[in-house]
Amino acid sequence: MKKLISATCIAACGSALLISASLSTAHAADWPTGDVRLVVPYAPGGTTDVLSRRVADLLKDALDTNVIVENRPGAGSTVGTGRLARGGRDADHTLLMASPGHTIGAAIYPDLAYDPVEDFVFIQNVIDIPNVMVVPASSPYNSVVEFIEAAQDQNMAFSHSGVGSSIHMSGELFKTLTGSNMTAVPFAGSGAALPALLGGDVDVSFENMPTVYSHIKSGDLRALAVTSAERSPYLPDVPTLSEIGEYNLDQFVTTAWFGLIAHNSFPEEGYEAMQQALDEVMEREEFLDFAKQLGAQPGQVEGEEFKQFVIDDLARWQEVAEQAGISQ
Amino acid sequence: MENLNEVLQLFLSIDNFIAIALGVVIGVTVGSIPGLTATMAVALALPFTFSMQPVAAILLLVGIYKGGMYGGSITAILIRTPGSPASACTLLDGYPMAQQGHAKKALKTALFSSVIADFISNIALIFFAAYLAKIALNFGAPEFFWLICFSLTIIISLASGSMVKGLLAALMGILLSLVGLDSVFGSQRLTFGNYNLMDSISFIPLLIGLFAIPEIIEFYRKKVVPHIKAKASGAGMTLAELKRCMKSIVRGSLIGVIIGAIPGTGATAAAFISYSDARRRSPNRDNFGKGEVEGVAAAEAGNNGVAGATLIPLLSLGIPGDVITAIILGAFMVHGLTPGPIMFQENLSLIYALFLGIMLSSLILLVVGNAAIKYFSLIADIPKSILFPIVLMFCIYGAYAVNNATFDIWLMLAFGVVGYLFNRTGIPAAPFLIGFILGPMFEDNLRRSLLIGNGDLSIFVRGPITWFFIAITFGSIAFALYRFFQARKQASNARQLNNG
Repeated sequence: MKKLISATCIAACGSALLISASLSTAHAADWPTGDVRLVVPYAPGGTTDVLSRRVADLLKDALDTNVIVENRPGAGSTVGTGRLARGGRDADHTLLMASPGHTIGAAIYPDLAYDPVEDFVFIQNVIDIPNVMVVPASSPYNSVVEFIEAAQDQNMAFSHSGVGSSIHMSGELFKTLTGSNMTAVPFAGSGAALPALLGGDVDVSFENMPTVYSHIKSGDLRALAVTSAERSPYLPDVPTLSEIGEYNLDQFVTTAWFGLIAHNSFPEEGYEAMQQALDEVMEREEFLDFAKQLGAQPGQVEGEEFKQFVIDDLARWQEVAEQAGISQ
Repeated sequence: MENLNEVLQLFLSIDNFIAIALGVVIGVTVGSIPGLTATMAVALALPFTFSMQPVAAILLLVGIYKGGMYGGSITAILIRTPGSPASACTLLDGYPMAQQGHAKKALKTALFSSVIADFISNIALIFFAAYLAKIALNFGAPEFFWLICFSLTIIISLASGSMVKGLLAALMGILLSLVGLDSVFGSQRLTFGNYNLMDSISFIPLLIGLFAIPEIIEFYRKKVVPHIKAKASGAGMTLAELKRCMKSIVRGSLIGVIIGAIPGTGATAAAFISYSDARRRSPNRDNFGKGEVEGVAAAEAGNNGVAGATLIPLLSLGIPGDVITAIILGAFMVHGLTPGPIMFQENLSLIYALFLGIMLSSLILLVVGNAAIKYFSLIADIPKSILFPIVLMFCIYGAYAVNNATFDIWLMLAFGVVGYLFNRTGIPAAPFLIGFILGPMFEDNLRRSLLIGNGDLSIFVRGPITWFFIAITFGSIAFALYRFFQARKQASNARQLNNG
């Protein structure tokens, strides 16, 4: 028994050491006074993660300090975001890469322990990726209107990358606005969803631009519309949904947005330093090239405007979640 | 080939060689540390590739991937702690071998079968990518559903000893896999309001708890040092053994290739399917699970067979089959390349340079793996009273590191108790794991098929692939029943003989 106790002690001390080694301390004076943490509320490897690592790499130069990316995945993005909302001693040097999951998560789970708006400071929207309404090349529909007309009588299946993803919610929004008959078919991520679309098992999807761009270019998928407010420079011939002008689609403007937020105790000097650094980063050629690869546009809004954007986004998804019956 | 010059120019750069070697070393090291997976290593290495040449960048990531795939087996064999989920199957025979004093043999077997499988997988990638990608596209939800059904029937062959206990274990695995969010409605199932369970039970803490902890409990409970017959590092794999395992390795590699080419199944499932298939066919069937060389070979061939093949849907269709290939896709995009049909038209030289590098990575894996074995096998000689506290430390850290969540440490310890009870009651862990892995795939593809078919059941028999899998599923069940009744008849005959 003694042995067991001593072994447990050694193990506990050792693992405590290993765990605490990854934590850092810092105090605010002139910002930044130490390493900056960028929390990614998703597991390594997704769009948010890849984007955050790219931005962190560039921010490192702009801020002249280490920017450490930390993945805090779980329950959509609500685990990582919830942790940030609780603050803590590093809150003055912690950023979080928020995405539609921030608003959609709050729309689906109204009982979250944090307020998705009031608990945070909204620094800047970094990048906007439009979703594209795509059908397989073999599909008989050549325009959004043709598709909607067909969907009045017959049921259409749309694929998405998981409940509460921007792809899923865009589909539900389309269904609600146009009154189409549509069934959501869930997949574990866009990678798994794509074969069903290419193979014609589902009729349509509202996929993120980078996932489908090369397939549109190769002719395996047909783009019927993009979901952003303006046409994408990468698909200049494809109309936006809002310019269709029928079936309430003028209200359909949505993008997969990514932006940096922080705890609402984030210092003023940090806020200013970050905005300055981000302005620098977003003009760098590496950043613009990266955005181009994603078929994305650099973010348009910052500060209060960004906050208002999030408030509007939240309200919209709350309505869609309610109507789609996925609000818990 | 007119582009040969360009290909060689792209490939024959010292950066590429360093990138591959470094990648494999990082992969083997990280893969062998429980809780640190190849996925994490690839994600962490990604920013470093931004400033590298595209070929070197991708090869670094591929090297980590391949090294990690093998590295996971090292701790699985030595301390019964799978370094990565895909190596869970390797420990079924690898750890008993190490206990019997054949640690080095088990490690070498794992290495050789990994390298051979990796090589076969690369060949498939280079020569049959276009063809296999087409199959992958024809693999919709109903086809997947039947593939999973077939895979579930192989649990029968893994339920060593008692069929009832095997099925019980599988059902428990399926039950636990239901924890989390419903995939269609997003509602919470069996989470008891705990947000830590919303993303379902974390696989790595479960694995570590289930396998490593019971050994530690058992050691302190009995307070006896397990009897080791020879110096633990022992002898390597003999040529005769390699020959004997060759069929299983090749078959396992092909299973890995097919599963790797279809997005969304993964290396863990491939390892178990290959293992069960080898066991079913092997004359040494009864020795599986007790330290059978062929078991280690089949498991490792299965999971490494996936490695090259997952690049098939990525390169030819632009579809990432798992998280690692999704990260590699990100690396391509950072360098201004978009995997998919267009890349084959626009950047063919680059693809062939990559292929050369990927082939080379198998070779480097052999060299690095061999060096690693030399030192790692010494772990088996460390007295357990010193080793086990260190193992426990890594178990705790490993469980924590996956999601940076303390909840996972408790989860791991809870599964430690479950694993211990399994051992005491003779409930096999393998069917439990298969249930846990395949349960959600079964459910999701069933529901997906029904949604796509709008409730029309004919979707389940819609084409030749479904017919094929239906046939082998029922064939597999019939075969198992036949064997079961035959064994019973033999047993009753023997009893009659004894009585008479």
